[in-house]
Amino acid sequence: MELDFLATVLLSSLSSASILLIATLGLAVVYGLMGVINLAHGEFLMVGAYSALTATQIGLPYPLAIPIAVAMTMLIGAIVELLIIRKLYGRLFDTMLATWGLGMVFNQLAVLIFGTVSPGIGMPQWNFQIGDYSLAVYPIAMIFVAAVMLAFVYFLMTHTVYGMKARASIQEPQMAQAIGIDSSRVNTMTFAIGSGLAGFAGAILLPIIPATPSMGLFFAVKGFLTVVVAGPVALTGSAITALGLGGGASVTASFMTSVIGDVFFFLMTAFLLWLYPLGISAKWRRKL
Amino acid sequence: MNKTLGALCMTAALSITSTTASADVKIGAIFDLTGGLNIYGIQQDNALDLAVASINAAGGVNGENVVVVGYDAQSELSKYTQFAQTAVLRDGIAAMFAGLTSSSREAIRPIFREANIPYFYSSLYEGGACDKQTFVTGSSASQQLSVLMDWAVENYGPRIYIMAPDYNFGTISGHWIHEYAEQLGAEVVGEDYLALSVTDYAPTIQKIQASNPDVVVALPVGAAQTGFLEQFAAAGLKDSIGVVSTNYGSGNQQVVVSPLAGEGLVSAMGYFPSVESDANAEFLAAWEEAYGTDTPVVAGAVDVWNAVHLWAAAANKAGTTDADDVIAALESGLTFEAPNGTVTLEPGSHHLRQDIYIARGDANNGFEIIATFEDSEPTYENEVCNLIDNPDVAEHFTPEG
Repeated sequence: MELDFLATVLLSSLSSASILLIATLGLAVVYGLMGVINLAHGEFLMVGAYSALTATQIGLPYPLAIPIAVAMTMLIGAIVELLIIRKLYGRLFDTMLATWGLGMVFNQLAVLIFGTVSPGIGMPQWNFQIGDYSLAVYPIAMIFVAAVMLAFVYFLMTHTVYGMKARASIQEPQMAQAIGIDSSRVNTMTFAIGSGLAGFAGAILLPIIPATPSMGLFFAVKGFLTVVVAGPVALTGSAITALGLGGGASVTASFMTSVIGDVFFFLMTAFLLWLYPLGISAKWRRKL
Repeated sequence: MNKTLGALCMTAALSITSTTASADVKIGAIFDLTGGLNIYGIQQDNALDLAVASINAAGGVNGENVVVVGYDAQSELSKYTQFAQTAVLRDGIAAMFAGLTSSSREAIRPIFREANIPYFYSSLYEGGACDKQTFVTGSSASQQLSVLMDWAVENYGPRIYIMAPDYNFGTISGHWIHEYAEQLGAEVVGEDYLALSVTDYAPTIQKIQASNPDVVVALPVGAAQTGFLEQFAAAGLKDSIGVVSTNYGSGNQQVVVSPLAGEGLVSAMGYFPSVESDANAEFLAAWEEAYGTDTPVVAGAVDVWNAVHLWAAAANKAGTTDADDVIAALESGLTFEAPNGTVTLEPGSHHLRQDIYIARGDANNGFEIIATFEDSEPTYENEVCNLIDNPDVAEHFTPEG
């Protein structure tokens, strides 16, 4: 096996894992800090993608379209939390059902508003060479984006007042309320941030994955499994799981076929859940 | 408010009386108007309505007005069988126009065989469907690939890589690519069959570079696989490796792909909006008047248009809409001046002899036709399927190996 092929495989597998992590982080934050599995997460991602797309279509440069997508999805996330999620606290399966239905509504709304075919924005046509192999710059840059995203969420949770309140609300809910933390407001904020992260993912991945009403489905299954395998430690757990499952699947696909890559992903998921029924991070001492 | 309601009731009453006054011929339609496949289904349904309107404007079928009983299959297989049963048992239809995926066709084909109702399937597909009641107006994989492979090897070179979806459309197309490559003295240097949900094509792009092909035959299905073309171009490979396809553009992928990535991609299909003919100009004018110019017309829509017109021509020729007589008329070597050139329904295989166009993506998300192969035969279907000699055959033939 030539060295240049090996280097390309490693680099692009790292990029695959990063893309999975970018798409999953919002889901992980909401699950980790609220105990809610948001099955409309993929649709929030789709809303982010369409928001960014619309912003570029009315003439804004792409880097400005990304914050617009985040603001849009955060707003929708906050509204959804106030109208739906709030009524279903502590009822895991009911929230799953409700958010699943919500996802369908979003999906069909997107068809009505944007139609089935929207022009893509294209990927920057930059590439670089490793030996005989040529790689696109943009997907590789997602490694950096994922790292920044992780650092941002980590900072948000550990160094801001909101972060402390959010962690207090999930770790010691009664104590948090007793000392005057309005946990329902914190939860609205958390859900909005989770949705905003999904919106960011949709916008930043738009050049790689074109905006379509059903694009959420592509991430729903793998994102959901990543979060479940990761378990209660949302941040570190998801990062490691995305790296292991997503990166591993990509390496397998490079040496064998994409189908075997997918098989690897699902077999590993089953194996890890058999080994750690509550997720790999269930017995970790760290909380983030 | 009450007035409006009253007016609505009046119009409803009027329309009921007007439809019952003259004798009607009912035809059924099941397409995916919602869900993931509506990228094709909406246009198929629009084409059906447009064709029926034009037939009715020209006097209908045997002097009778054609009405459509339409269903939305919601991109779900179970809905196809459910609505097909309803259409047969309750609606009393004279013909059925339905389906996009091969699985939907195979699910409902037996229902119309049992009920003896002509069934028209209008989409490009892997080929091989053979049934007395089934008529296929889309092009088959071997029909497109036989001309495309010839062109690709001549223009790009003999080293071929296959990128295709991992189900029967992809794998059967892969079979034909191998077979035509062998006939042309070319070589398949690698292949990757992918799930429809794959979004990250870095592994495929590496394998393509490792096997160093002259041309990639890419058959991306669905939105996620369209991303392959973007990623392939962004890796800087488009200038050194040709890309050809038999379905790029069938769902308006050329609109989704950015102009930089789409320019120069080559596709071979039975229809492109840029076909130059009077019939196409007329068809496009009618289409744009009814549905606007927002999205280009896809091949599947023209396939439905052709199907409805062929059925109407057969029913007029037979002088009745009775199934046996219409099927006999359909098997009489019927031709139709279609938007995509003259098409002929092959009596034996129930497939269309039609023009196959090779087109190249331009810089404006459109296609420029670079070669036309007139009157291309559905070779494989004609070879294995002869419903004149063997009217009882009901099979989905797949090439061996």
